[in-house]
Amino acid sequence: MLQITNLHANVGDKPILKGLTLSLNAGEIHAIMGPNGAGKSTLGYVLSGRPGYEVTEGSVTFNGQDLLALEPHERAAAGLFLGFQYPVEIPGVSNVQFLREALNAQRKYRGEAPLSGGEFLKVAREQAGALGMDMDMLKRPVNVGFSGGEKKRNEMVQMGIIDPALAILDETDSGLDIDALRTVGDGINRIMRKPDKAVLLITHYQRLLDYVKPDFVHVLDGGRITRTGGAELALELERDGYKELAA
Amino acid sequence: MSPAAPTRRDEAWRYSDIVAVAAAWPLPAPESIIVPASGNFARTIVQDSGTIHQLDIAIGKGATAAIHVLNTGGEYGRVELNVTLHQGADFKLGAVQIGGGSQTLEVVTTVTHAEPGATSSQIVRSVLAGTATGTYLGKVAVARDAQQTDSVQSVKAMLLDRSATANAKPELEIYADDVKCAHGCAIGELDPMGLFYLQARGIAPAEAKKLMLQAFVAGVFEDAADEEMLTETALKKLGELV
Amino acid sequence: MTNDIEIKDKAAWDAAEKVADYEHGWSSDIETDFAPKGLNEDTVRFISAKKNEPEWMLEWRLKAFAMWKTMEAPDWAKLNVPPIDYQDAYYYAAPKAKPKLSSLDEVDPEILRVYEKLGIPIAEQKLLAGVEGGEVGGLPQRRVAVDAVFDSVSVATTFRAELERAGVIFRSISEAIKEYPDLVRKYLGKIVPMHDNYFATLNCAVFSDGTFVYIPEGVRCPMELSTYFRINAENTGQFERTLIVADKGSYVSYLEGCTAPMRDENQLHAAVVELVALDDAEIKYSTVQNWYPGDAEGKGGIYNFVTKRALCQGRNSKVSWTQVETGSAVTWKYPSCVLNGENSVGEFYSVAVTNNYQQADTGTKMIHNGKGSRSTIVSKGISAGHSNNTYRGLVRVAPNAEGVRNFTQCDSLLLGSLSGAHTVPYIEVRNPSAQIEHEATTSKISDDQMFYAMARGLNAEEAVALIVNGFAKEVLQQLPMEFAVEAQKLLGISLEGSVG
Repeated sequence: MLQITNLHANVGDKPILKGLTLSLNAGEIHAIMGPNGAGKSTLGYVLSGRPGYEVTEGSVTFNGQDLLALEPHERAAAGLFLGFQYPVEIPGVSNVQFLREALNAQRKYRGEAPLSGGEFLKVAREQAGALGMDMDMLKRPVNVGFSGGEKKRNEMVQMGIIDPALAILDETDSGLDIDALRTVGDGINRIMRKPDKAVLLITHYQRLLDYVKPDFVHVLDGGRITRTGGAELALELERDGYKELAA
Repeated sequence: MSPAAPTRRDEAWRYSDIVAVAAAWPLPAPESIIVPASGNFARTIVQDSGTIHQLDIAIGKGATAAIHVLNTGGEYGRVELNVTLHQGADFKLGAVQIGGGSQTLEVVTTVTHAEPGATSSQIVRSVLAGTATGTYLGKVAVARDAQQTDSVQSVKAMLLDRSATANAKPELEIYADDVKCAHGCAIGELDPMGLFYLQARGIAPAEAKKLMLQAFVAGVFEDAADEEMLTETALKKLGELV
Repeated sequence: MTNDIEIKDKAAWDAAEKVADYEHGWSSDIETDFAPKGLNEDTVRFISAKKNEPEWMLEWRLKAFAMWKTMEAPDWAKLNVPPIDYQDAYYYAAPKAKPKLSSLDEVDPEILRVYEKLGIPIAEQKLLAGVEGGEVGGLPQRRVAVDAVFDSVSVATTFRAELERAGVIFRSISEAIKEYPDLVRKYLGKIVPMHDNYFATLNCAVFSDGTFVYIPEGVRCPMELSTYFRINAENTGQFERTLIVADKGSYVSYLEGCTAPMRDENQLHAAVVELVALDDAEIKYSTVQNWYPGDAEGKGGIYNFVTKRALCQGRNSKVSWTQVETGSAVTWKYPSCVLNGENSVGEFYSVAVTNNYQQADTGTKMIHNGKGSRSTIVSKGISAGHSNNTYRGLVRVAPNAEGVRNFTQCDSLLLGSLSGAHTVPYIEVRNPSAQIEHEATTSKISDDQMFYAMARGLNAEEAVALIVNGFAKEVLQQLPMEFAVEAQKLLGISLEGSVG
């Protein structure tokens, strides 16, 4: 589904990714772990096309398509979803309006008919309910006044409504208490663990992996993948730390 | 005999389209509105044809006046309000200016708290593209002994193109000590991270911009009788700019 | 040994204990050499001749005088100033008999006594007395070079030798015109042009003396430079001229302080200060202005029409203005920054106190022409008695200046219901990438605050002094320590009699 080959990327003038190669197939969940500053968040931003993140070398194909040639909104319509580490506050725009516009823009791009207000609300209510989010919060401006945990939960509700093929979840576990962590983990499994979907979990700790069991774990260090293994690698990292591993 | 047309040296016209003003000169006498004690007055002004609106509003004891302005049309559009508040009166202004091309749009207010206990609130949002100029000149004057005045001005402008111009002069003239007067003014561009967030959810750049701008003017028309019409008209104009 | 905090507290106590009479309201008895009363071309020639100026300087002055005669005084400020009779004043007064001195030891003891009485900070008095390397307030003593301007002529400079070793030129402007004519001509009138405004033009024609500073490339000035201004002679207009040039990568901190004795007649002061900062240079300019404000009935006091402007010409250049304005009957003053350099920085920190019938119209202009230029404005206005206090400011962003940032905070504090506090900010933005924020508030000292302070044992005036110092803290923090102490004292003194 996703093939990253020898990816080099700069933020400003600074090289962050230095030859990253990674391949995800449908039906797989991959976790990317690594120390702070390894380039984990940069990978998420590069894949979703954030301005200022410049690819200097390498390629990324997504379902056979050149991902890097697409605009951010085209990548979203193609089925890529980025769960933000720091979801952005947008005063004045309600969650409902935002998501309906987003979903219908994606459907239009794919040549599908837009959802009516009623149809959309039904989907939204389902997803919010499954993640234990109050409908009132859906009517509030996007992320404004939300706690850290509420923002992350809101990202999952959005993922449920948009129903992407590939989710890149950047530190979705940070700022969550244990109950919220379970809810979010269940949400990821319910929405994304399907034969035609894939997930790239970007995380610093292994605790989310207790709830979402990865098929592969990669260590990202110094801008490249330095090691790949199964779920047991995450436990090893948790026990020995990144330093030990690098040695 | 009416006085000579103003020049840029006149404070109240310093950013105006002086040629357009001279062409319209002399102006008819301002519309005079007197809101009797305990009365309620509301007015919506949609300036879409390049005209100069001048209103003098006297708000009686305990009375209220709410003015909503959508200033969008013509080469030169000006809405000028001269408001006097008597004891315990309340004045609310919600104004949106949206200009493109070479338009010059301005909202000019003088709000005088003549007596104690009056409140006033002014919210002005401007969105400017092309080489348009959008101006807010707003003076709040608190007379000697007009204690317990509570006044707020919130002024924000968004420029969409280089060489569009936003001018703001939120002025306070205060002669009483027991007052709460504050103003805030911010001029900037759309938050790039917000735009990226919207795009990462699949919304095209122009739509994302429009959505952000809609959010920017949201709330200004709250409580207006014509809220829906004003919002729709504003959105339509915004749509033309992005 | 006292520590910093104790000194500040002591200052607040001292301030609160002062009597209502103007502390500096006496006149010292020194013989003065006057130019004839009145203003005409001969006055200009007299001043130039008295200073043995080169021909080009005289021509420059005459050109300015001709220009001035065609101009009108500005009327846009929120000031009520009676017409000034420019013919009814002297334009030159020099302390008599003494020729140029090389050190303060040679200065007329009478003049030294004047400074002592003015409360020049102890650290500097020690320095002036030749006690070097002592410690004040538990902190290593900073060193300050003083160029004293007594009435119209600069009478002495100290530390000249050490400054010269560092390559720093610190001179009266009269000397500099003769010794460094090329440097002076290169910048004089280039930041504040001759035609800039009525008072600046007048200054060009009749400026009496002032200071010239040049910091060479890469030099961090080894000490703070300071000029004490003092208007002493009756009916003497004072027209200071200051020019500071900071060459690439240099740094200088400059202190300007002034007081004036009590007089009935209004005295006109129209100074011009020009600053230039080249690439990576920084100038910090601090002022405490405590000229005679007039009496409680609004009689007398200094008219202070000042033009101060900095040119941040170089990349990463920085100019920071800090002012504490407590004196003068009328203040008209807008220390500004023209930010031409890429990533240049302008700052303006101001406390203005008006009491009785004082009027202040002061603020700044930040003109952003350079990409990435940034500015900060913090203005604290305190109005008491029948006074009026106006902040007037301009923030302008040019179309080509990408990434400009400005933050402005204007707070007014009203003491009593007979004063006025006004805020007139102009914001003009022509580049979409600018981020401009302006906040203003108006408040009074709440009864709760007063009660709380008094319940802890302060009397009303002490409580006010304490609260006002807190209100102005953000600005006072910007001052060098000795100045901060003096400024805190001044705030308290200036507000005496404002609470009943």
